[in-house]
Amino acid sequence: MGIRYIKEPDLIDPVMLASWPGIGNVGLIAVEAMRKSLRSEQLAYIEPWDYFYPNKAIIRKGELIELGFPASDFYFQRTDKRDIIFFTGEEQPTEGSRLYAEGSKAFSMANIVLDVAQKFGCKRIYTSGAAVAPLHHTARSRVWAVPNSETMLEELKKYDNTILMSGVEGREGQGTITGLNGLILGVARRRGMEAVCLMGEIPVYLQGFPFPYPKGSKSVLEVLIAALGIWMDMDSVNQLAEESEKELTGLYEKLPQEVKDQLDRLKQVTVAAPESGETITEEDKRKILDDIDRFFKSQGGDEQH
Amino acid sequence: MNGTSALNLFDKPNFQDATLIVGWAEDASNLSIRTTNYLIQDLGCTEIGEIMPQEFFPLAGVSVENDVAQFPRSKLYASSRHNLVVFQSNIPRMEWYRFLNILLDVAQECSVREIYTLGAMVSASTHTMPRQLITVMNSGALKAELEPFNVMADTDYETPPGQKPTMSSYLLWLARQRGIDAVNLWVPVPYYLVPVDDPRACKRLVYFFNSKYDLGIDFIPLDSEIAEQNRRIAGLFDRSPDIEALVRRLETGEGIDGAESDKLAREILEYLKKQD
Repeated sequence: MGIRYIKEPDLIDPVMLASWPGIGNVGLIAVEAMRKSLRSEQLAYIEPWDYFYPNKAIIRKGELIELGFPASDFYFQRTDKRDIIFFTGEEQPTEGSRLYAEGSKAFSMANIVLDVAQKFGCKRIYTSGAAVAPLHHTARSRVWAVPNSETMLEELKKYDNTILMSGVEGREGQGTITGLNGLILGVARRRGMEAVCLMGEIPVYLQGFPFPYPKGSKSVLEVLIAALGIWMDMDSVNQLAEESEKELTGLYEKLPQEVKDQLDRLKQVTVAAPESGETITEEDKRKILDDIDRFFKSQGGDEQH
Repeated sequence: MNGTSALNLFDKPNFQDATLIVGWAEDASNLSIRTTNYLIQDLGCTEIGEIMPQEFFPLAGVSVENDVAQFPRSKLYASSRHNLVVFQSNIPRMEWYRFLNILLDVAQECSVREIYTLGAMVSASTHTMPRQLITVMNSGALKAELEPFNVMADTDYETPPGQKPTMSSYLLWLARQRGIDAVNLWVPVPYYLVPVDDPRACKRLVYFFNSKYDLGIDFIPLDSEIAEQNRRIAGLFDRSPDIEALVRRLETGEGIDGAESDKLAREILEYLKKQD
């Protein structure tokens, strides 16, 4: 098991942006969009054999020509403001039938990613994922920021549209980040490295569907751009976000009126987009969320986060 | 990691250019295990070792199938007289790369020259039709060697999105890294026989090995099973001409719709189970 380097560039105080697939692929879309926009070059890859089952066989005229595996690739780019290493994983290494990485393979992969970060002198790692929230899909996603050290809290508070866990309604600073997007924060902390997970909000009613949610990714990118002080072309992400909202609105219109009525109440709850200008009390908000929760439970909805 | 610590090999007969036959459990009609069982019994293979399960299966309890608790097994058998090693196993649930490399370590220790994996493909064929043998190989050079055995060796295939390659494909690919020739043998099984045995498919595989390696296998028990299954299904046809008509339509390639397909599978299964 190991890492294969394609290039070994001299980078100056780089940061690393890392992401694996997750709910709505919020983090992966954000990191991939920046990587592509900055035209980064491949730096290295992790050999897949010990982590993954193959994902593609190609047979031609009775001969097995190729067996493909999920990719775990590193890229790099130097910008005027900041050198960046990107890591994107096509799958999370799982043991058995679990959805997200955990256990020895997850720990091993997190360490390999951090080995690369340290080899090139990274002082900080950003990971990214989704935050399931009582949000309407027409609203702007906020970004939940979770650092692995108290020293970063003040900095993170300064970014627009960003909240700490203590700012999330009903969370009181508590929560979990499943899979490698979260685990790497802990592994980095063991090594004394700074790491932050930026989670773009995704509507609670979309969490169980296999749809990407680029609106959440767009919010994550806005925070990353501010944090890194760089520029990137957002046209492709804006387009993805607009198309996604149109598609979701199309699906939404097909829902039974009773369901729509319940979900429309989320527009009132959404803190980041008080479109109506009306304000509601905390008690009202709790009641709406409880009602929606009861409604989905009565419809056999999924309670997992 | 030590590549052989999970291996318990308690006998290693002398081989020269041996053949390894791999049968995975849980395929349609339990074809691979039935076929390897037939070979083990007919050729007098003896157990020579096993790959221990704890690294490759969750072992969080046991599954129960047909009222009986199951446990994963990965056993090696051999017949030095026939230069043959047989491996029967459940498909590992994790650490696939390590598992297959342990198997390939055994293959190299036993001087294996060729590996065959067995498998069933669900098809819209019937129990009365001849079973084809479809091959996928890890080297184009094997094609000429296989051609005399009436196999189909011209498959084109790509794993569809959302699906995964088979364990047999994975083994082929790893065998190629070690320079060992390997071939997947696939037999299409009529979809309505998937939950039960398909002795004709089993015979197709055994016949291939018998022809290729001149093993002197006794086919009488298999032929009896085929005759018995045909007799039973013919009994159903006598009672239910509409079921026979559906089978005849499949034989002529006319096709049947989803509801007819479900009915055919259900009635044949129920009838065969009653006869047991």
